[in-house]
Amino acid sequence: MAGDAIVAEELTYSYGELVAVDHISFKIAEGEILGFLGPNGAGKTTTVKMLTGQLKPKGGKAVVLGMDVASDAGKVRGEIGVCFEQTNLYEQMSALENLQLFARLFGVGDFDGKTLLKRVGLDGREKDKVEGYSKGMKQRLMVARSLVNRPRILFLDEPTAGLDPTSAEAICSIILEERARGATVFLTTHDMMEADKLSDRVAFMNGGKIVALDTPHNLKQQYGKRALKAKIQTPTGELLDREVVLDQPETPDLVHKLFAGERVVTIHSEEATLEDIFIKITGRGLKE
Amino acid sequence: MSVRRVGILLRRELFLGPKSFIFLWSVLLPIVLSLVLSLVFGTLFSDKPRLGITDQGDSKLVEMVQDSPSVTAREYGSVGDLEQAVRAGAVDFGIVLPEDFDSLVQQGQAVEITAYVWGESLAKHRVIAQVTLLDLVRGLSGREAPVEVTITTLGEEAGVPWSDRLLPLIVLMAVFIGGMFLPATSLVTEKQKRTLEALTVTPTTMLEVVLAKGILGFSVSLAMGLIILALNGAFGGEPGLLAMMLALGAIMAAELGLILGAFAKDMSSLFAVWKTGGILLFAPAFIYLFPEIPQWIGQIFPTYYLVEPVVRISQEGAGWPDIAIHVLVLIGLDVLLVGAVGLAMKKMKSAMA
Repeated sequence: MAGDAIVAEELTYSYGELVAVDHISFKIAEGEILGFLGPNGAGKTTTVKMLTGQLKPKGGKAVVLGMDVASDAGKVRGEIGVCFEQTNLYEQMSALENLQLFARLFGVGDFDGKTLLKRVGLDGREKDKVEGYSKGMKQRLMVARSLVNRPRILFLDEPTAGLDPTSAEAICSIILEERARGATVFLTTHDMMEADKLSDRVAFMNGGKIVALDTPHNLKQQYGKRALKAKIQTPTGELLDREVVLDQPETPDLVHKLFAGERVVTIHSEEATLEDIFIKITGRGLKE
Repeated sequence: MSVRRVGILLRRELFLGPKSFIFLWSVLLPIVLSLVLSLVFGTLFSDKPRLGITDQGDSKLVEMVQDSPSVTAREYGSVGDLEQAVRAGAVDFGIVLPEDFDSLVQQGQAVEITAYVWGESLAKHRVIAQVTLLDLVRGLSGREAPVEVTITTLGEEAGVPWSDRLLPLIVLMAVFIGGMFLPATSLVTEKQKRTLEALTVTPTTMLEVVLAKGILGFSVSLAMGLIILALNGAFGGEPGLLAMMLALGAIMAAELGLILGAFAKDMSSLFAVWKTGGILLFAPAFIYLFPEIPQWIGQIFPTYYLVEPVVRISQEGAGWPDIAIHVLVLIGLDVLLVGAVGLAMKKMKSAMA
């Protein structure tokens, strides 16, 4: 069984009077993808900064790969890769030079920048200055940069935000490839579909606290409802909507009655989205 | 701390630095200014003092002066001609040798020499001319001769020449513009572009980042200081001591640049601080420009402890004992600024959080 890649115990951080992260505790197993969801100001970025050694917790403890981040920040940073939400590349340097710089800082001896750039679809443009790149290309380069040291843990902050579907899909594929390699992925995102698709588990953060942490399936089971949505046609030709909630004792009877007594034109099943569940738990939307 | 990573970061600074406008500005401005002033004041191509002589007897000293490699000698037929030449600036220093000069010095008798000094001549030229003259008289007499030189200053400006007055300003500009601006702008740019954040999630520490930027500032500052002194022919007799002073000044410049860069939010605020605070840096140089201002005021400003020794070494031939106190004060200031840099970096890190 895989060990824990990240252990947060009562992790706390405040900016003056404002408590940004309020005694949160969680564990992430090695090789797991955790989707970290929450609206702006929920404390996601502050949590990531504490886990990556950029911020010293005001309380609690963060242990990454068995090392206390507060006392072993340098060693921890050698084992992780971080992709930021906002582009922060050396724009006057080429893509290859950017990657080579960071590889040298990580002390990677046999670094093959061209292969990595090919993996993110930037082959052929590796010697161009980054300032001439599109947003999607820069974002793909950011992801590539976070991989230069073959990190055991990958922190990705909104890696597909504002990207075209092709670029977003390419980045999702890389995330899954990294998981297949054995890396743990800490994925901060607003995109429910993406989190649902990629994450083994998701954590909902709100007001500095983790309000739910489980697999998407379990969360949907626990907080959402599954339903059959049908369109029926009345004898006068009018189209009406019907809904049958699934997983209830009376569901089989209701389904039978629907088909026996009505003219069903279309029917499909529908389950709650993570967004619905987040709203149900916190009373607010993820994009607020 | 890893020296290897500091080297990697320094190489990146050197790669990107010369492409920036700030780099060109900080390197070119002092050089261009120095060349312009050298051309205006005619000091660029005339590094030897010009010594005029009127011999009222038949002294061998005239021939000895003409053969001396330290000065350019011209002989004048009368005291009036010599005075006129000195007054016009044709020579920096003029001497009148009495009729029986050679026999008097050889007998060891006291001799009085009348000397005229062009008011606008460089201080170092006056010093070189006098030292050369006394050396040659010693050679003529075979011993220490009891020669007394009575000096009269001639010309419009009977004070410090403008080229001497401007030297402190040019030296300060050379040392501080590059030394401060390169680390400051590099730090501000990294904050604005958030690349600093990217570095801090690698094994790189803030100390390594700061050291790389500081070393760049120090190196450019020292190099510029040396170039400017070379262009102005102002190394004097103690080039090692001068280089040490410039190195201490370069450390101060780099430290101030790092502090400025840590506190400035963006380029606009950086230049705003420069515009208002720059006067404090250059105040000692402005005080040198106007000798009528009480010169002790300069001592209030930290850069005085760089400028004063540089001026004294290059223009007055001062040595270590003359400038020891200034050196100690400058070292003290540099050490204090190390602490200030540490505090500034802490502030910057918490601001980044």
